Amino acid sequence: MWKNFCSLFKKDCQMMIAGKFFLLAFGSFLLYTLFINFGYIKFMNAELYHVYLYDPQGTQTQVSDLIYPVTSLEELEQALATDTTGVGIDASSGTPNIILYYGSEKVDRHRADYARSLLYPDNGYTAKTVGKNTPELKQRKEITCELLFIEIVAVGFLGIASVLFKEKQMGVIRIHAVLPLKKSLFILSKIIIFLLSDLIFAALMTVFNIGIADTIHILPAVLVQTAILSLIMALAGFGCTMVLNDFKQFSLAYLVIAIFAATPVFLTANTSIKMAWIGWHPFYQIYMGLKNAYFGTPITDPVYYICSACGIAALFIIIQIAFRKEMGKEG
Amino acid sequence: MIEVKNLTFSYGKDKQALHGLDFTVGDGEIFGFLGPNGSGKSTTQKILTGILKGHGGKVSLFGRDIATAHTQDFFQKIGVLFEFPYLYANLSAIDNLKYFSSFYPAGQLRDIEELLEALEFKRDFLRKPVSSYSKGMRQRVSMARALISNPKLLFLDEPTSGLDPSGAVLFRKIIEEERGKGTTVFLTTHNMLDADLLCDRVAFISNGNIAALDTPKKLKEKNSNQRVTICYLYQGKRGEKTIETPELEAGIPFPHDEIISVHSEEPTLEDMFIQYTGRGLS
Repeated sequence: MWKNFCSLFKKDCQMMIAGKFFLLAFGSFLLYTLFINFGYIKFMNAELYHVYLYDPQGTQTQVSDLIYPVTSLEELEQALATDTTGVGIDASSGTPNIILYYGSEKVDRHRADYARSLLYPDNGYTAKTVGKNTPELKQRKEITCELLFIEIVAVGFLGIASVLFKEKQMGVIRIHAVLPLKKSLFILSKIIIFLLSDLIFAALMTVFNIGIADTIHILPAVLVQTAILSLIMALAGFGCTMVLNDFKQFSLAYLVIAIFAATPVFLTANTSIKMAWIGWHPFYQIYMGLKNAYFGTPITDPVYYICSACGIAALFIIIQIAFRKEMGKEG
Repeated sequence: MIEVKNLTFSYGKDKQALHGLDFTVGDGEIFGFLGPNGSGKSTTQKILTGILKGHGGKVSLFGRDIATAHTQDFFQKIGVLFEFPYLYANLSAIDNLKYFSSFYPAGQLRDIEELLEALEFKRDFLRKPVSSYSKGMRQRVSMARALISNPKLLFLDEPTSGLDPSGAVLFRKIIEEERGKGTTVFLTTHNMLDADLLCDRVAFISNGNIAALDTPKKLKEKNSNQRVTICYLYQGKRGEKTIETPELEAGIPFPHDEIISVHSEEPTLEDMFIQYTGRGLS
């Protein structure tokens, strides 16, 4: 069995090299790394929130130097209209009221806390600090996690499809039906090669974009989450390739997955849009699992891992059925 | 080698493909399974090779019931040539054969280069990718793949398809050689010449039923009208007469100076197929 698996694995490597898959993955890694280090971190570095204070009677006596005083309510509104991430404080009645630009009032309560902390710098009104990530490291982890997620969901999914569609078109899948080997090895070989490829990709992305020191602590948890996502995507890609007739149909399926699977996850995770049902979305759970792994708080709930294992096992069984059907098709 | 009793198969509720086939194939026999497209030939072959499950009736191979026959040991003993030359297009002939042969025990394998040479494969192309091969060359590599493991039972689906006449002759010679070694051959085809020249027995299959099963010779004899047509010259004039074969026992029963040709009116295997099944082979 081991000899058969090695033969399949070697042939799959040859197919992937011929299809330039590894080159594409390495290109993606280079592109992402350059983007993170020379683009995202440099230009997306969020500045401090500006805090504007309207206090015509001078009721606030201990204000920080970081607060910008304004002379009228109109000027305060004007400032917030221009600087939409800024925070306004209207203290004209003697009691400071926080004013945020429209649409962002539900977003960041911590900005209001930050503004209050500037209003009472000596009163010990400071936000509790959690985590050890600097703002840059936090940004690095967030973007690395997002790009890794995109890479596995999109590129890995397409990668396995491109290799399998070639084999399907060449008809060689049918030959494996009459070879003395366990048919599940054919599936396993492909899944493992993509899993290894994704794990190496995840390790490289983490080392080069987070730094070796932090990587040592988070890498095992990141690899576990990467493995879960990679297995699911590779199996889904395998299944779609068996069920669908050609790459055109597959492209449509890919769009559906991109729109209905990845989009709500990113919208919920990265914007103010909240969806009540998102907790039931498996990709959201995996994405949050990956993100938590990057931030050093990996998921410990066994239910998550049991559900993942069951999902992977169910996909594997479905794919075996689809694979057997494909082998029995006419030429 | 193969025993099939009341074999049935259905692709769905209303798609009955096989309606109770009965046949046996002996050791070292070349058995032809003849029928037009959609007659049930490939379905039968797929059931025998374990690709299709869910059949009815009783099938045994190598003396074992089919339900337990499709083990790795079974697949080590068979070779299958598909209708189309399925190969990895990006790999060379050598790499394809190395890959496919890697699943068999090393002791039962034939030498790849010798085998390709026997199949008259052009040496210049041995290490070139299959994508650069002609259809005939691909068919040769596919045949080599089917033969590489020295199978005891060989399933051949349209083996001479895509070959030029000399290639077809070579393939028939190779199949004869396999029979000489004791290999049983299950030949699925609608090429009547292949069937006539190669097969010990043939089965005509039409609409999932076996319409006739016998040796090609007997099938033709049974349905012969026992007439011969003789072309002759007599007193400088060319003539042609058709007579009953018993009339020949006492010699040519009409005056002639020279016999130009004698044609038996024995039917061809294709004529027989049409007679038994009521349809052509295309």
